[in-house]
Amino acid sequence: MFKNYLLVAYRNLIRHKGFSFLNIAGLALGLTACLLIGLFVYDELQFDKFVPEGDRVYRVYTEQTDKEAPETITPVSPMYGTTLKQEFPEVEQTMRILMQSATNLLEVGEKKIYVEDGLIADSTFFAVFPLEFKYGAAAQALDAPTSIVLTEDVAKNFFGAENPVGKEIKVNKSSMVVKGVLRNGLSKFHLKVNYVIPLSAAQLPPARMKRWGWHQFFTYVKLKPGADHQQTETKLQNYIVQKVAPAQVEEKITDKPFLQPLQAIHLYSSTFKYDLSVKGNITYVKALSFIAAFILLIAGFNFVNLATAKSMQRAKEVGIRKTIGASRQQLMLQFLSETVLLTLVSVVLAVLLTALLLPSLNAFTGKTMTFDLLRNPALLGLLAALTVVVGLVAGFYPALVLSSFQPVKVLKSAVVTDGIFGRVQWLRHGLIVVQFALSVFLIICAIVVFRQVSYLHNKDLGFNRDQIMFFPMRGQNMNTHYDTFKNELAQVPGVVSASIGYGFPGDQVAGDGLIVPTNGEQKRYSATQLMVDYDYIKTLGLELVAGRDFSKDRKTDKDQAFIINETAVKEYGFGTPEKALGQTVQWQVWSDQNPDSLKTGKIIGVVKDFHYKSLYDKLEPAVLQIFPGAYWKVAVKLKGENIGSSVDGVKQVWAKFSPESPIEYKFLDQNFDDMYKSEDKLKSLLWIFTGIAIFVGCLGLFGLATYAAERRKKEIGIRKVLGASVSNIVALLSKEFLVLVLVAAVIAFPAAWLAMSTWLQDFAYRIDMPLWAFLAAGLTAAVVAFLTVGYQAVRAATANPVNNLRAN
Amino acid sequence: MIKIENLEKIYRTEEVQTKALNNVSLAVKEGEFVAIMGPSGCGKSTLLNILGLLDEPDGGSFAFAGTEVAHAPERRRAELRKKHIGFVFQSFNLIEELTVAENVELPLIYLGVGATERKEKVAKVLEKMQIMHRRNHFPQQLSGGQQQRVAVARAVVNSPSLILADEPTGNLDSSNGNEVMELLTELNEAGTTIIMVTHSEHDARYAHRVIRLLDGQVVLEHAHV
Repeated sequence: MFKNYLLVAYRNLIRHKGFSFLNIAGLALGLTACLLIGLFVYDELQFDKFVPEGDRVYRVYTEQTDKEAPETITPVSPMYGTTLKQEFPEVEQTMRILMQSATNLLEVGEKKIYVEDGLIADSTFFAVFPLEFKYGAAAQALDAPTSIVLTEDVAKNFFGAENPVGKEIKVNKSSMVVKGVLRNGLSKFHLKVNYVIPLSAAQLPPARMKRWGWHQFFTYVKLKPGADHQQTETKLQNYIVQKVAPAQVEEKITDKPFLQPLQAIHLYSSTFKYDLSVKGNITYVKALSFIAAFILLIAGFNFVNLATAKSMQRAKEVGIRKTIGASRQQLMLQFLSETVLLTLVSVVLAVLLTALLLPSLNAFTGKTMTFDLLRNPALLGLLAALTVVVGLVAGFYPALVLSSFQPVKVLKSAVVTDGIFGRVQWLRHGLIVVQFALSVFLIICAIVVFRQVSYLHNKDLGFNRDQIMFFPMRGQNMNTHYDTFKNELAQVPGVVSASIGYGFPGDQVAGDGLIVPTNGEQKRYSATQLMVDYDYIKTLGLELVAGRDFSKDRKTDKDQAFIINETAVKEYGFGTPEKALGQTVQWQVWSDQNPDSLKTGKIIGVVKDFHYKSLYDKLEPAVLQIFPGAYWKVAVKLKGENIGSSVDGVKQVWAKFSPESPIEYKFLDQNFDDMYKSEDKLKSLLWIFTGIAIFVGCLGLFGLATYAAERRKKEIGIRKVLGASVSNIVALLSKEFLVLVLVAAVIAFPAAWLAMSTWLQDFAYRIDMPLWAFLAAGLTAAVVAFLTVGYQAVRAATANPVNNLRAN
Repeated sequence: MIKIENLEKIYRTEEVQTKALNNVSLAVKEGEFVAIMGPSGCGKSTLLNILGLLDEPDGGSFAFAGTEVAHAPERRRAELRKKHIGFVFQSFNLIEELTVAENVELPLIYLGVGATERKEKVAKVLEKMQIMHRRNHFPQQLSGGQQQRVAVARAVVNSPSLILADEPTGNLDSSNGNEVMELLTELNEAGTTIIMVTHSEHDARYAHRVIRLLDGQVVLEHAHV
């Protein structure tokens, strides 16, 4: 019996090639999209799950409560680690990682390479993260200040296949000893790591390590088994309020600490500031999951729609089978096995397509996802379950309809009239509405995201970011003679100007404070400190709205002058830029020897606001000052032409000052573009999947239009005989579908509005909701629907009416 | 074998009620060959559908082989159909996706007959209908006469006691039509009861008895001798 079902199913498939194609292609495409998204989402959810005992590990972060909208700051004071270990008995271990630029020059013999992602961490690193060692062992691996632990890849790069434990490697010219090699397989670790250096190697002054106001450490805490992290969190918050804040009069502690579970770090930290971990975004993961569900739904609806539409052609078969003695159950089983078979074919195709497309997705997302069915029985089981479930769910309704046919009625008439099918009409229409509503929704989202992303890339940032070469200084010689270095850079043909400092747009900036005398009181405000030189404003093309730039000719500018931005003027209560000029302010100098010393000076200028951070962040008060002690980055503004030779010129100057280290430069605009990588990806993914959703939806619509034209052949013939024109007929057939698209748009608009305004909320600087996007989405859907239906309609309308009438 | 009394069938639309069958009573004995005739719309096909347990009457009684079946549940009627009744239609009604042999095999599958036995029975009946050489063809590859022979083969493959034929020669030319009528006669002579709806006086002559319907009522019954 089953063989007979399969046989009929197979022959039906072959016989109605067009229909089968629509059905299988639609479902296969939908499933492929789902599989790819599923792999991506699964991968995102796997972060840090491999870390042994990771469920007891938490990251400490703080909310700064002194702002209107509290900011979430990832690095915390070194004292958190110390305090948690000493004062909280439920804590098993703590570990701190210094927040700093982690690219260092590694050297073994003649081989010199800049290697990124070096972590400077407490020696307890491997107690908190018991990662697997290939060579050496975790115990004591970071105990000596000269220890270093490498990852397998880095070790291979410098030492080849041999075991490097005990061998020497130079890090920024100082000699260290390899104590261990970590096994590969850290791709799902939230920390990017190529090597680990003990904190003791950084030789930080003990006084600074006791400062509660120095937010410079990513701090992790491992609780003892059974400890409740929420209790610890509350205890810690109370500890700060009761013991720390009252004692720290100078620093004004406004921290509210929290413990974040290790496995939440990757996906739930998108709004965390100064976070250097590999970040995902739960919003995007959710959005993609929804899209996957949408696409599967659309593909599934197609399936149901096409199958019920086609049932007309199967009516006679049902009649015959019933007459011969088939029971309803037998018929249902037959039709269900057909849909399961169709689904199976689609799934197989989808699996092949997925395997084919996965490398591209990997390249696009920078992941290393695998899709190996043979080695992953769970995935195989999931696919089998998917086949059966999709097949049964999609096949159930058509089977129900088909098996209910009365043989007397279906056998008598050559064409089954709408009487029988009238009741399924509403369902088909309903499904089309849902499909198109989803498509319209996705189109709107795609447009809004596209607009916002272009806005992010193209917004006037208040400075000129083009043709600015950007690199860190290297080596003793260059750092000592930075002024000569800079002057020589400025001499290079093609260089407009050069600036050395700390705090360039798109790069790391220092959050700090400024003391402003207000009503006879010294009030401390937050301020981003940009440590600049005399050419910073010129090089970046900042605009002064009041006062003047720093000048070499005025001796006091170095130690007694500040320039602030417009936001600072507002927040510090100066009123207007002009009124801000001449005001005296103070800054607590970054000094290990004299942590309490103050630099006092006057505001000599106000710059127009410029975005030195991403547009996720609201503009903050910023202070520019001359402070050579913090200089370490260089920005070189080049002329628009002959950039290649200008870059070569810069390289030559570099080689003169730091011959032992190669230069590693970027362009500033690229820095900025890199900030929106995840939005760029979201944009592309949205376009791709919206395209797939629309395409799959169209396949279904095309099938239905074919069916509608078929069903109304005779009517069309009669209308033509009576004098209807081709356009009359096309309008007649298309109208029905266009009304459905209209209804779909009405449903999709508010949903898309809600979703997109929520998404835009995340950006401090965002576009207004583009109303035309809604119109465009509705129109696109209507045009696509019209083209799809129109083809069939024109075919039906131009056919010779005599043939159709005779056939009926 | 069949006994109906005061059978009624009413078709209702929103505004009109049509009595398709009005107090029809008749009896068919085992081994009889009965033709039902009458103009279009007289209720012939409705009667045949009720006799074939494809449709239910609105009134009256219907005894099939001694059991009342007028309002039997669908499951029971499907059971009776597949065991005791074979159908032959004017438009052949073969399943286009199945070959000749597979079409003929279908009733046996629904009866739960084993594969070997099925093959034997199908071969035998195809042989008998002289269509064996076409066993692997699809219906659309056959002539009308051949298709109707396949349909008859399918109707008789499980040796039903009753064959209901609805204008079996309606779509055939006269020589093919005669062939089919000869086949039915042979079956009848072998003991199968046959009830046939027809427009053709020529075909009706093959029957033992003719029942004439007009406006849902039996107007005349006469025997051919």
